[in-house]
Amino acid sequence: MNQDAGTVESRRLGLDAHGEARKFVRLLQCSQCARPYRSPVTLPCGNSLCRECLPEAHEREGISYPDIPNRRKGIQCPFPSCEREHSASDCNVDVALNKVMEVIAEVFARYENIISNKLRAQGDTDVQMQEQVLGEVLDEKAESETSLPRGRLLAAYILAMQGQLSLDSDTIKYDSGTAAESERSADFTMMHDISDTALPQVDCQVCYNLMLDPVTTFCGHTLCRVCMSRVLDHSLHCPICRRVLALPPTIGLHPNNKTLVDLSNTLWPDMVKARRETVAAEEQEIAQGDMNTPLFVCTLGFPEQPTFLRIFEPRYRLMLRRCLEGSREFGILMYNRYSEPQGDLGPVHFYQIGTMLRIVRAQLLADGTSLVETVGTERFRVTRHGVADGYAIGNVELIHDVNLAEEERIEAAETSQPPPADEEDVHAQIARMPTVDLLRFGQEFVRRMQGRSANWLQQRVLDIHGQPPDDARLFPYWFASVLPISEEEKYKLLDTRTVRDRLKITAAWIKRIESQRW
Amino acid sequence: MTAPLPKRIIKETERLQTEPVPGISAQPHDDNARYFDVMVQGPDGSCYEGGVFSLELFLPDDYPMTPPRIRFLTRIYHPNIDRLGRICLDVLKNNWSPALQIRTILLSIQALLGAPNPEDPLNEAVAKQWKENQGEAIKTAREWTKLYAQPKQ
Repeated sequence: MNQDAGTVESRRLGLDAHGEARKFVRLLQCSQCARPYRSPVTLPCGNSLCRECLPEAHEREGISYPDIPNRRKGIQCPFPSCEREHSASDCNVDVALNKVMEVIAEVFARYENIISNKLRAQGDTDVQMQEQVLGEVLDEKAESETSLPRGRLLAAYILAMQGQLSLDSDTIKYDSGTAAESERSADFTMMHDISDTALPQVDCQVCYNLMLDPVTTFCGHTLCRVCMSRVLDHSLHCPICRRVLALPPTIGLHPNNKTLVDLSNTLWPDMVKARRETVAAEEQEIAQGDMNTPLFVCTLGFPEQPTFLRIFEPRYRLMLRRCLEGSREFGILMYNRYSEPQGDLGPVHFYQIGTMLRIVRAQLLADGTSLVETVGTERFRVTRHGVADGYAIGNVELIHDVNLAEEERIEAAETSQPPPADEEDVHAQIARMPTVDLLRFGQEFVRRMQGRSANWLQQRVLDIHGQPPDDARLFPYWFASVLPISEEEKYKLLDTRTVRDRLKITAAWIKRIESQRW
Repeated sequence: MTAPLPKRIIKETERLQTEPVPGISAQPHDDNARYFDVMVQGPDGSCYEGGVFSLELFLPDDYPMTPPRIRFLTRIYHPNIDRLGRICLDVLKNNWSPALQIRTILLSIQALLGAPNPEDPLNEAVAKQWKENQGEAIKTAREWTKLYAQPKQ
C-alpha cells in the first residue's frame, strides 16, 4: 500500500478515495435501507433518509393549533439523535441532495458502462463479470482471481445499490491483484469526477457560492445558513417555491443538513474552508473594520436610561443579529427630519450626536420582528459614516463630561457673576443658580406635577424609568426620558460637557412650562 | 464606502455574456458594474414585434435581497408601463425572490410585452383604451414601436 501516493492525490478531497472508499459510500447510504439515498427527504432534525424509508404517518394527537389538514399527520423520527415527532408536511424531498445523488449515480453508471464494455470486448460472460468485478462481502466467497480496474468506490457503491452492503459493514474484500495501482487511479478518477459534477448542485441560489452550513427548509430547498437568515429578514416565504416557511426566524436553532455538510467536507474541503474564511472576514470587516459602530437612526436615547425598540426593518434585523453576536452595543441617533447641517458631515439624515445602547434583552417574535430592551451607556459624536448592508455604520468619538475640578471651577465662576441687569431675564437667572439648586428646582417641579397627577408621571412611566434620580448627573436624562416635549429640544442635552449645563437646560424647560409659553 | 462586487453579481454578469438569452442583452457599465444597459426585442406575434427596446437596470446595495431597479428608456405604449418607463410587474415588487435573477426578470419583462394586462394598469389612459378599443390600442402600440423602438444601425 503506497500511502504517499494517496495523500498527494487526495489533496483536494476530504478523504482517500481509494483507502477510504467504504467511508465515502457510507455517506451516500440511507441509514434505514442502507441503499444509496433514493429521493432523499431531509427531516427538520437535519437527518436524511429515502422517501420510501419514511415511517408510516400516523394521526397526531393533542395538537389543536395550527389545525391545518396536512399537519395532522405525523411521523416518528427514526433517528436515535432525534426521536421526536415530525409533521408529515415538513418532510419533503430534499431537492439539492436528490440532485447530488442523481449526479453521483450517473457518474458511477458511466464508469460501470465503460468497464462492462471493456469486459465484453475481452469476451467475458456477464455472469463472470458480475462475480469478478464486484467487491464481495468477506467470508462469503473466496478471493476472486481476476482483478479489474473497477476500483473500490464503484464496487462498494454497487453493493450498496444491491442492498448487500449493510451500514456498519467495513469488511469488504477487495481484489488486490496485479492491477492494484490501476484500481487506485480508477477510484481517484471517479471521485474527482463526482467532485466536479456534483459541485453545481450545491450552489446556493442566493449567493451563488458553495452552500456553507446548508439549511434545508421544510419544503425541501437548501441555502447557506447566512443566506437563509438574510432571506428571513425580508420575507417568511421560501425564495425558491414561495411557500410560507415554517422556519423559525431564530434560524440559529434549525440544524444544518447533515448529509450535505458531510458530503461538502468530503468532496470540496478546501472550498468549504475558503468560504468559511471569507464569510468570517466579511463579518469581521463589519465588526472591526474602519467604521465599526452600527448606527440605528430612529430616536433619542439617553445614558443610563432604558430605551425599548421594535426592530422590524430587514436591514436592522441584520444589524441586531450582528450586535447580539458581537458587542451587544449599537449607537442610536435621532432622525434629522429638517435636514439641519451636522458639522463636518453636512445635512446628513441623522443628528450627529447620539447614545450608545447596550442590549439588555432581545426577544425575537414569530413574525421575525424583535422587541429589544436596551440601556444607554455613553454619548458619542459621529465623525465619519458609511453603509453596511443597508444600515448606517460609522466612526464615533465618545463625549465625556469635564472632570470634577473643571465642573467646580465653572460653577464658581458662573454663580459669582453680578446679578443680571434685567430681572426678568430667565436665562441669566438660571445661569447664576448653584448647581444643587438647579437639581432641587427640577425635583420639586416633578413633585409638584406628581401632586397634580400629570399624565407623563403616571405609575406606568415610573415603573419603566424609575423615580427621579438624586444624582445630578443623571436627573436631566431621566427628566428628558419622561417629559413630553419635542425631541429636538431634548437633543440639546446630548451635546453638553458639564452636569451644570444639563441642569440649566432642564431648568429652562421648567421655566418655560411654568410660564406657559411652551 | 464601496464594497467589493458580490460573487453573485459577477457570476450573473458572466453568464449573461456567455449564455445570452435570445432577444435580450444586458451590458454592465465599465465604471459601475451594478448598472446595466439592457435591450429587449419585442416578442414575435405581439404588437411590439420588430421593436428593440432599451432599458436601464440597476442592482441596489442589498441585491439580491431586494429586486433590481429597472425601467424602459424607449417610449412604449403598454398598459403596465408608464410614461417614465416604470414597469408594473409583481416580481419586481412584492413577488421578488432572491432566487430570481437578472435573466429571469428580463424574460418576465419580455413576456409582459407579449401579454399586456390592462386589469392591473400602471398607465390608466393606455389601459382604458386597451379595454375599450383593443384594436385601436394595438394599432397605436405598433405605431409607437415603429416610431420609437427601431434598432439603431
